[in-house]
Amino acid sequence: MEMKFERNSFGKRLKSMLSVDFRRMFTMPLFYIMVGISLVIPILILVMTTMMDGTVSVNPQTGVETVMEGFDSTWQAIGSVSGEGMMMDMSLTGMCNVNMLYFFVAVFVCLFVSEDFRSGYSKNLFTVRAKKSDYVISKTLAGFVGGACMLIGFFVGAMLGGAISGLPFDTGTAGIYGIVMCLLSKILLVAVFVPIYLAVSVAAKQKTWLSIVGSLCVGMLLFTMIPMLTPLDSGIMNVILCLAGGVLFSIGLGAASNKILRKTSLV
Amino acid sequence: MNAIEIRDLRKSFGAKQALCGLNMTVPVGAIYGFIGENGSGKSTTEKIICGLIHQSGGNIKLFGRDHTDADVRARVGVLIEAPGCFPNYSVWNNLMLQAANLSIKNADDEVRKVLRTVRMEGAASNKYKNCSLGMKQRIGIAMALLGNPALLVLDEPINGLDADGMRIMREVLSDITKNYQCTVVISSHILGELEKIATHYGIVRGGKMIREMTAEELEAGCRTYVALQTKDMNRTKTLLGCKYSRVVEENGYIRVYDAESPEEIVTYLYENNILVSEITTDKIGLEEYYIDLMNEKEVR
Repeated sequence: MEMKFERNSFGKRLKSMLSVDFRRMFTMPLFYIMVGISLVIPILILVMTTMMDGTVSVNPQTGVETVMEGFDSTWQAIGSVSGEGMMMDMSLTGMCNVNMLYFFVAVFVCLFVSEDFRSGYSKNLFTVRAKKSDYVISKTLAGFVGGACMLIGFFVGAMLGGAISGLPFDTGTAGIYGIVMCLLSKILLVAVFVPIYLAVSVAAKQKTWLSIVGSLCVGMLLFTMIPMLTPLDSGIMNVILCLAGGVLFSIGLGAASNKILRKTSLV
Repeated sequence: MNAIEIRDLRKSFGAKQALCGLNMTVPVGAIYGFIGENGSGKSTTEKIICGLIHQSGGNIKLFGRDHTDADVRARVGVLIEAPGCFPNYSVWNNLMLQAANLSIKNADDEVRKVLRTVRMEGAASNKYKNCSLGMKQRIGIAMALLGNPALLVLDEPINGLDADGMRIMREVLSDITKNYQCTVVISSHILGELEKIATHYGIVRGGKMIREMTAEELEAGCRTYVALQTKDMNRTKTLLGCKYSRVVEENGYIRVYDAESPEEIVTYLYENNILVSEITTDKIGLEEYYIDLMNEKEVR
């Protein structure tokens, strides 16, 4: 007696895995908390730095005066024009911009993935899923969408923060086109970081702390590239470059994540 | 055809050899009681069958295909250790998530059906983390039942449950065996419960299968004993001990395992001025058979 089994095509498997991941992502408080934080942070940064702009503080020991410099334009919260701030800018305006969200994405992806292993849901997932690539592709896409939502949240928050604090919206040399391309490049750049965080997370499995620390450390190596790849006056080449990087990282590190899942214990 | 066919399965964790050439055959439609001591390799075997850990050697076929075949694995339901549920989700949402994972079309109806099967219709809106251990185990079984599984692997589903939880679980398992046409592999230490539902048994020890048999073979292999009570139990035991090789006192009865017939014992005791007040014949159950087998192997 031969038992018949319905054929599970790649498309069908991926569709069901995506429906699980997106259903989970949009029903978990973590996602809304992260998007909410991404929205609130630029408002706080822009309002507070504007309030403190020009404040002079004196070091009582050395007598050296330090003038607090705030943002000159709302768009500084999104990025710097080519040539400015291309190196690792350690000033407040250099650090407190959209680029720090790539670290927030790390926290989101790590918590999202490790919850599968910590809750034991991975047993249900992987018992009926012989192909681990479904999981990797789906998680990469869900992580990318989650990260993109956070970036959009930050952008909206920056606009609100700029309006509240009365900062100018003058696009300067970047222009509207450059800013749109910059934002698009930054969104596509999420696809470079998500596979890194995913690979670290599937290696760390239920050890959330390890996946977060590992992801932040590895992410830090690429962090300095972000201003260079996505300046405020980006063009179509920046978008293509980020897209190509995202695809390459997703394929390369996706294969690595797949191998980790295939070769290691899943419980 | 066999639902599971395992040949020479080996698995080591570092220097520790968990499975050393285990063979296992589970026919389609069987309810396979998988028995063994703690650390004998039951859970490891089950996890390998479900693809959760990887074997060091040997091969596994599920319904004639390799166990990594995606089409077959989509029809395997599993409850290993604790159920894999998100603690902050409701029971209903956890099951709906698994229904999405299995691409079930009428997910609502299917989830209602499995909730009915595990007697949890009224608790669908409860958060998983607020459920009792018994409820959690039943939710785990409900998850495993989604998607009309061809093979159900249940790892110790009744352990740790109270008497009422065990009764409900027994009813649930009995319903599953009647209403779902699936092969069930169920491991448990509570052999008395297992005996009520299993059609086949596999006894594993030290990472090796030491015996596989059907329920009929177990029935035939279980020795008959005579249990009796007298007014002077100590003298009776001493006397019977002189004539029969295995005499045990248990639960207020003296059991004689190698007597030809109860009449023979009654006559022998009567000749020695002992009157028997109660006498019955019975067969040893799975639990005693298992203990006997373990002792036998230990002696060897």
